[in-house]
Amino acid sequence: MKKGLVILLVFFAALVIYPFIFKNPFPRHLLIMIMLYGTMGIGWNIIGGYAGQVSFGNAAFFGVGAYTTAILLSKYGINPWIGMLLGCFFSSLVAVIVGYPCFRLRGHYFAIATIAVGEIVQILFTNWEYAGAAVGIYIPILEESFFNFQFHTTKLPYYYIVLAMLAFALLVCYAVEKSRLGYYFRAIKDDPEGARSLGINIQNYKLVAFILSAILTSVCGTFYAMYVLYIHPANTIDLWLSIHLCIIALIGGLGKIFGPVIGAFIFIPLTEFTRVYLGSEGQGIDLIIYALIIILLATLRPQGLWGIFAKSSS
Amino acid sequence: MKKIFRMFCLSLLVLSFASFAYAQEEIKIGVIYPLTGPLASTGQVLLEGVKLAAEIVNGNYNLNMPLAKGEGLPKLKGAKIKIIPGDHQGKPEVGMAEAERLITQEKVVAILGCYNSSVTATASQATERYGIPFVNESSTSPTLTDRGFKWFFRTTPHDGLFSENFFMFLRDLSKKKKVGANTIALFAENTLFGSDSVKYQTKYAEKYGFKLVGTVLYPAKSTQLTSEVQKLKGMNPKVVMQTAYIADAILSMKTYRELNFAPEAILANDAGFIDPEFVKSLGKDANYILSREVWAKDLAKKKPMIKIVADMFEKRTGKHMDGTSSRAFTAMIVLADAINRAGSTEPAKIQEALLKTNIKADQLVMPWDGVKFDPKTHQNMLGKGIIVQVQNGEYVTVWPFNLATKQIVWPFPKWEGR
Repeated sequence: MKKGLVILLVFFAALVIYPFIFKNPFPRHLLIMIMLYGTMGIGWNIIGGYAGQVSFGNAAFFGVGAYTTAILLSKYGINPWIGMLLGCFFSSLVAVIVGYPCFRLRGHYFAIATIAVGEIVQILFTNWEYAGAAVGIYIPILEESFFNFQFHTTKLPYYYIVLAMLAFALLVCYAVEKSRLGYYFRAIKDDPEGARSLGINIQNYKLVAFILSAILTSVCGTFYAMYVLYIHPANTIDLWLSIHLCIIALIGGLGKIFGPVIGAFIFIPLTEFTRVYLGSEGQGIDLIIYALIIILLATLRPQGLWGIFAKSSS
Repeated sequence: MKKIFRMFCLSLLVLSFASFAYAQEEIKIGVIYPLTGPLASTGQVLLEGVKLAAEIVNGNYNLNMPLAKGEGLPKLKGAKIKIIPGDHQGKPEVGMAEAERLITQEKVVAILGCYNSSVTATASQATERYGIPFVNESSTSPTLTDRGFKWFFRTTPHDGLFSENFFMFLRDLSKKKKVGANTIALFAENTLFGSDSVKYQTKYAEKYGFKLVGTVLYPAKSTQLTSEVQKLKGMNPKVVMQTAYIADAILSMKTYRELNFAPEAILANDAGFIDPEFVKSLGKDANYILSREVWAKDLAKKKPMIKIVADMFEKRTGKHMDGTSSRAFTAMIVLADAINRAGSTEPAKIQEALLKTNIKADQLVMPWDGVKFDPKTHQNMLGKGIIVQVQNGEYVTVWPFNLATKQIVWPFPKWEGR
């Protein structure tokens, strides 16, 4: 375990130093995206990996987080940090409203229901005039400061904010794994009947996992809105986002703390670099190569990449 | 096996962080389009349009357009344009990152793109931060130029102007033919495209003094429009202004025929009514509808240059030139013209030169009155759409009258006896 801790510290130290070595915006943007997806991947992993409830609706939480912040800021001038907290609240609310009936469904049926939920939320926002409908919301440009959550001349603060989010998500996940919750979640995943017979309230604990997942994803939604400064439903509440989160957790290793982080470190550079180097001449070669790698990973290493990196620390 | 995987993963990481840079020899222009993903084919067509324009600027062609004659940019010692493509996959955050990458790593002097309004929105925020000129060719969301950005320029007319064209057309027509098409009903699908169009049409109907007798919205993907068309019929408008995608466009025409509804004109808003499927599946019943368009092949009859450029495009790509590629082509010409007049690759000088752009109608492959940017919003003030009519299964230009190749058939003939 000690060795694991050392590796973890080195990893974070490297992340802290990284922007001082790479000063161009693109490599920084790349790492920001990796950490953002890593954080969301951890969020997905709690419900999908630990509790075993495959969700294709997490983009809805991302959207609710982004929209709560954007609406509050653009209509009422409410600080985006407060927007972030309220976004978490509304996402949790959505998780409860959706989770309560849907957790009665099992296996594939739950996954199908979450696809529907994600799509419904997208359609709602597409037609909701107050929230900018299909045009979306332009976030008002404010003075550059940590308080305003906006930085125009450098990506550095964004970088450290998302790094802190990643660290927070890892801590949450660690706390879950080490606490009773983690055991409950895994029990629910492995054998729901058995878990129920031992007195675990399956419904409630699934809900807890879903809420945790929603909160971590919602925070990322807020970050995205403040980073890109423009959101619209087709992109912020996209089924593909949910699928990507699932892929990230799968590549890295389901139900492992570090799995999604590794997944994001492989997946995001892969998409970005195949796009940059091969995408600009079109014809979709980048997507073919990308698909090939995903297929290889899935067939050769279905348990995820986690074991390769951490065989000694677990 | 594990070893190979470890190597594989590490090499991916190393590849990820390798940065790269080129020496600046030519004038580099970043062009950001959806080159992969669901819009890939449109992105390719756009990029080809831009490439053709660069080829004409770089080579020596006897065409009446800026920079066609003589190689390269004369005021920059014949420097050539080099296009650096970027792919945004239809995603706003990717478009933003691509703009930043092209500016900081490829050192482009200006950016052109991005087709999708949502991507243009974020990519132009990046160019605004870096102080690099951005020329947009075909994103029509009016909001984009309302932001008052310093570095953002748009050559295409936006949705508001296109809507206004309908009323300019009706006004011109009433002067010419003395037709009193004064009552209008709006008929549209209810997503962004339809509801936005209705908003603008309502606004301009009032401004131009037309009487709006009613608005009928229906859910996109409807499989039945009978009750909607009955409602329309009850309103008894002289003109139906319609916004629809392909499936509902066809369905509405069939329903009109079934219910024998024939107003004086069906004036459609692009999209479904100019889709190749429209004429193909309706056959004769497609005749005589009017639609807004951005470009049409038959414009070449009045402007021979259009045929030359369209033929070059077809030879290059094997595809017909259309409203998308012609607009991308034009934006590149406008940008190259500004860089040449600036006589410099300094962004501030290019921005100034863009503001002073004044390209005449006869130098364009578009049906516009020219290119001249509004000093405040940087919207091209001289852009214009055209109105086409289906006659014998072909789309022919009927407005503006000076570009028309056929006489307009008005009113829309009754269904019986066709």
